Amino acid sequence: MVMTLVNARCALVSIMIYGGLISIPTAYGDLKSLDDAAMSDISGQSGITLEMDLGVSADSVSYFDDGKGIHLEGFRVGSATDPNGQAYHLVMIDIGNDASLNLDYLVEDRRIEFGDIRLAGAPGVSMGGLFFDHSLQGTFRLRSGGALGGSGYTFDSAYTMTGGRLGYRTNGNEFFLDDITMDVEALGVTLDVVGSTLQLRAPRVVGSWEVGAIRFSGNPLNHGVSADVSSGLTLPSYGGMSGHFDLTSATDIQAGGRDGEGLRIDSETTIHSASFLYHDDGNVVALRDITGYYDVNDLRIDVTTDPKGREALGLTLGGVQGEFNVGAVEMGGNGKSLGQVNVSFILEDRIFNGESYRNAVFLQGGGHPDAGPQGLRLATEWSLRLSDLSYTEDGNRVIFSGLQSWGRGDVTVNVTREGVKNGTQFFDGLRVGFEGIKAGYRINGLRVGSDDAPLQGGTELLLALGFYPAYEFELDGHVTLGPGGASGEGITINSDIQISNGRAAIIAAPYDSGSGEAPQKGLWITDLDYDGHLRSMTVDVTEEGLAIVKGEAWSSMDIGNLRVGDKLAGASFGRFVLQKYELGSSMTIVPGGAGEVCAGGVGGTESACTASGGVWENRGEEGITVKLKQILARAVSDDKKNAFTWETNRKTDASGNPINGSGNQLVLNDIYTSDGGDFDGDGVDDNTFGVRTDLAVDVYRTRVVKKEDGADSLGVVGSRGDEKIMDSSAPEGYRYVADPGQSDQANRPLGFAVKAESRFKELSINNIDLVHPVGGAQTAVYGVKMQNFDIKANLTATPIP
Amino acid sequence: MKMLPKILFLVVVSSLAGGGRSAIAELSLLPDERLSEVSGQGGIYLSGDISINEMGGPVENSYFGRCSDAGKKCGARFAYRLKETGGWMVLDEIRGNFAFEGLTLRVRNIDSGFGGDGELFNRDVLELGLPNTVRFNDVRFKIASSSTARPTDPGFQQTDIFSVEMRGEVIMEGNLLVFPTGNP
Repeated sequence: MVMTLVNARCALVSIMIYGGLISIPTAYGDLKSLDDAAMSDISGQSGITLEMDLGVSADSVSYFDDGKGIHLEGFRVGSATDPNGQAYHLVMIDIGNDASLNLDYLVEDRRIEFGDIRLAGAPGVSMGGLFFDHSLQGTFRLRSGGALGGSGYTFDSAYTMTGGRLGYRTNGNEFFLDDITMDVEALGVTLDVVGSTLQLRAPRVVGSWEVGAIRFSGNPLNHGVSADVSSGLTLPSYGGMSGHFDLTSATDIQAGGRDGEGLRIDSETTIHSASFLYHDDGNVVALRDITGYYDVNDLRIDVTTDPKGREALGLTLGGVQGEFNVGAVEMGGNGKSLGQVNVSFILEDRIFNGESYRNAVFLQGGGHPDAGPQGLRLATEWSLRLSDLSYTEDGNRVIFSGLQSWGRGDVTVNVTREGVKNGTQFFDGLRVGFEGIKAGYRINGLRVGSDDAPLQGGTELLLALGFYPAYEFELDGHVTLGPGGASGEGITINSDIQISNGRAAIIAAPYDSGSGEAPQKGLWITDLDYDGHLRSMTVDVTEEGLAIVKGEAWSSMDIGNLRVGDKLAGASFGRFVLQKYELGSSMTIVPGGAGEVCAGGVGGTESACTASGGVWENRGEEGITVKLKQILARAVSDDKKNAFTWETNRKTDASGNPINGSGNQLVLNDIYTSDGGDFDGDGVDDNTFGVRTDLAVDVYRTRVVKKEDGADSLGVVGSRGDEKIMDSSAPEGYRYVADPGQSDQANRPLGFAVKAESRFKELSINNIDLVHPVGGAQTAVYGVKMQNFDIKANLTATPIP
Repeated sequence: MKMLPKILFLVVVSSLAGGGRSAIAELSLLPDERLSEVSGQGGIYLSGDISINEMGGPVENSYFGRCSDAGKKCGARFAYRLKETGGWMVLDEIRGNFAFEGLTLRVRNIDSGFGGDGELFNRDVLELGLPNTVRFNDVRFKIASSSTARPTDPGFQQTDIFSVEMRGEVIMEGNLLVFPTGNP
C-alpha cells in the first residue's frame, strides 16, 4: 500500500492532528457539548496557543492497492468562501497532570475538497468532486491506555459544527446539503491494537444534527454557495432534515482486502435511540423512537475490478445483520402517527433461482455516458437472505415474513441539468439511473398478532398497499429528483422506467411450504413489459400529510401471459395490455385510519348503526388514509391514452412462444374521465374531478367464520358458521367457537380493514372493438358513459383460515 | 374418460379438500433449515359491505342531486350504444347496498375428487370461494332507452322500460373455479 502526495503546498504550518484527523474519529460519535465539569477536567490553565490560517492543496492524492491506483485530484484545504483563502484555526494545547493531551480548538470557514476522483485504469471518466465546508468548536483529550491496557489510547471528543455544507459535483452541476449544524459528544473512546487488528470502541456516542436545506445548482459558475452567483436568488431546496442519535459501537480494522492488499472492517453498532425528520416548508415526516442494531461482518475495501473487468473501488461484504424499530411514523402538521414499523434483516451470500448472489458495490467513474465524463457508476449486487417486516397500529401487528431479495446490475448517479445531451433527455436534479438490473423479491408468508403466531398465507394483502407479493424483473431507466415541490420546498420527480421480462404475483403461495424450496403457485403476471414515464411529479409534506401530484404520466403495461399455477409453465389466460395516460392526478397520504366505522350498516352514531343492522367499530387513531385523484385524459396518441386490451388465440413462433398482435383482441379504447360538460367555455369538456378514491387502511380484528363442517386445512375442527378465535394455548394458535362471548371477540383474527369511497362524475369509453388479425377492428360498442357514481365499501381482508 | 368441461368459468357447488398445509413457525429471522418447517397456503378471506350512491353521487345539476331532493335523481347512470348513430341503452338510478361474509380467493391444484375427474384434470385453478350468504338491501335500478348519453344533453328524451328492486338474502355456496383453456 503506497500513498503519495504530489506537489503539495502548505501556506502555513499545520498541526494536522486536530485539523483533519481529529474530526475523523469523532465522526463515529455523537455530538453534545461537554458539560462544565468535564471541560474543567480536560482544559488546563496553561499551555500553548496556536493561531493560524491554513491552506493546503495538492494536485493529486493517490492510494495504491496491489498496483491499482485511485487518485483524489484537486485536493484542497482552505477557506470555504474564498477559493484562494485559508481557513482560520485556533488551538489551545495543554498537557494534563495525567500526561493527557488536551486540545481546545476553533476552526472557522474551512473547506476540504476533492475536485475529482479518478481510477488509474479507467481513462476519460471520473467520479466527480466532493466538498465539505464547516466551522468547528470543540475539545479533544487524548491519554494513554486503551480498553485493554497501557498500549492503547483513550480519547474524549466533543464538538459543535456550524455552517456545514456537504456537496457532490459532476459536470458543473451540484447537489449538496446546506447549512448543516451538528453537536457530537463521544467520551471514553478507546483505540487498541490486538494482534494485527486495530480495535476502536465507542461506548457512548450521542448527538443531534440538522440540515437546513438540500440544494441543487445547475449553474457551473456556482460552487458551494447557497445563492446563485448570477441571479443572486437562493438556490431551490428539496427541504431539510434533522435528527438525533445515541449509539454504542465497536469497530475492528485490519489490513487485507478481498484480494491481496486492502482493508477489512468489522463492526457492531447498537442504536439506543435515534430520530430522523424530513422538513418541507415547516411540515415534517418524522421517524421517531428508533432503536435497533446492525452488525457488519467482513467488509473489504479494494481497488480492484468488477466482475465485468472494469476498474473500480470495490466494497464487498461478508454479511450484515440487523434490526430497526421505528416507534412512530408521523407526517403532516398535527403530529399524527401511521403506526410503528419493525425491520429485521440478514444480508449474506445465497443462491436464488440457481444463481449465486453476494453483497457488493463497485464504484466507478462516468455515470450515464451521455451526461458527461463525471459521474458515479455503481456495479451493484445484493443478496437479502431473509427479512421480516412488521407494521403495528393501535397495538395490532401484522408481520410479512420471509422476505428475500436478490439482484445485480449498474446504478448510475449524476447531477444533471435540464436539456438534451447526446440524444438523451436530462432533467434538473440528482439523476439515479438503472442499467441492466436483473432483480427480484418474494415473501414467504404472513403472521398476525405476535412473533409466535403461526405463519400463513395472505401476502396478497400487500396488493392493497401497491406491492406484489413476489416480483422478478429486468430494470432500465432513471429517476431524477429535482428541487422544489408544488410550492416552496419539496421534490420534483421526472422518470422514465422500463421493465422487461417481468413476473409478478397477484396471488402467491409460500416459496417454502414445508418440504424445501419449491416454485410458488399463484396467479402470475408474466412476460411483462412495462414502459412508464413521469413528468413534473411533485412531492410535498403538507399540513394534511404527504402530497404527491403528477404532472403528466403515461405508461404501458404489456402482460404477455396471465398465468395460473406456475409462473413459467402455468396455463395462460392470454395477453393483457393496460395503457394509462393521466394529467394532474394526485395522491395524498394522511396519517390515521378510518376511526369510527359503521360496518355493514348505515349511520353516524353507534345507536343508528346498530339499528340499521351494522356493527359499530372504533379502529383507533393510527392507520393510513390514502386519497387518490385520477384524471384520465383523452387520447392524444397511440402512446398517450387509456386503453385495455385482451388478446387470445395468438399464433406461435418457432419456439412455441405466442406472437403478440397475431390473435383476436377485445379493446376498450380511449377511456377517460370528465366533469360532465364544458363549464368554463373553452370548447372542451372540463376534466378536473376525475376518479376520487379515499382508502382508510387499519390493522383490525375481524369476524372470520368457518364455511364448512369438519376439520380445516390445519386439522382444527369446527362447524359451519363457527367463528375463528385466536388462542395461543391452542395447538394451532386458534380454535373455532360457536357463539363467542366478549372475551373471545377481543381475540378475533387480525387483518386489514379497508374503508373505501370511490366517486366520479363521468367515466367514458369511446369505443369497444373486437379485432381480428386479418379482418381488422370491428366496433362492438360505440361509446359507454357512466355518470354520478359514489361507491362506498367496508372490507376486511384476512388470510384464509 | 370423464373430464371437467372445458369452459372458462366453472362453478362447482361442492367443496374439495384444501390446498397446502399451513404450519407454525417462529417469528425471528429464520435460517434456511428453519424455513423448511414453515408451511401455509396463499389466498385471502374477504368480508364486508358495498353501497352505491347511498346518499347520492357527486354530480349536482338539473338532473342529478342528493337523495333528499325528491325532484332529482340520486342514483348512478350507465349508458351505452351499439350503433354509431343510434340511441343509448341505460341503466339508470342505480342504488343500493349488499353485504357478504367469507368470500375467499386463492390458487389451488385440482388433482382429485369430482368423481375421479379431478385426477385426470390435474391443473391449477383460480378459486373464488363463494360467501354462504349475500345480503341485498334496497338494490334498485331502471332499464331505459335514451336519445342522448347525458341526461343534460340537448334533445334528451328517455323511456323507462322497467325497474328492478332487490332486498333479502341470496345463498351462494361452493366455489367458482376459473382456469384458462384454449389457445392463449
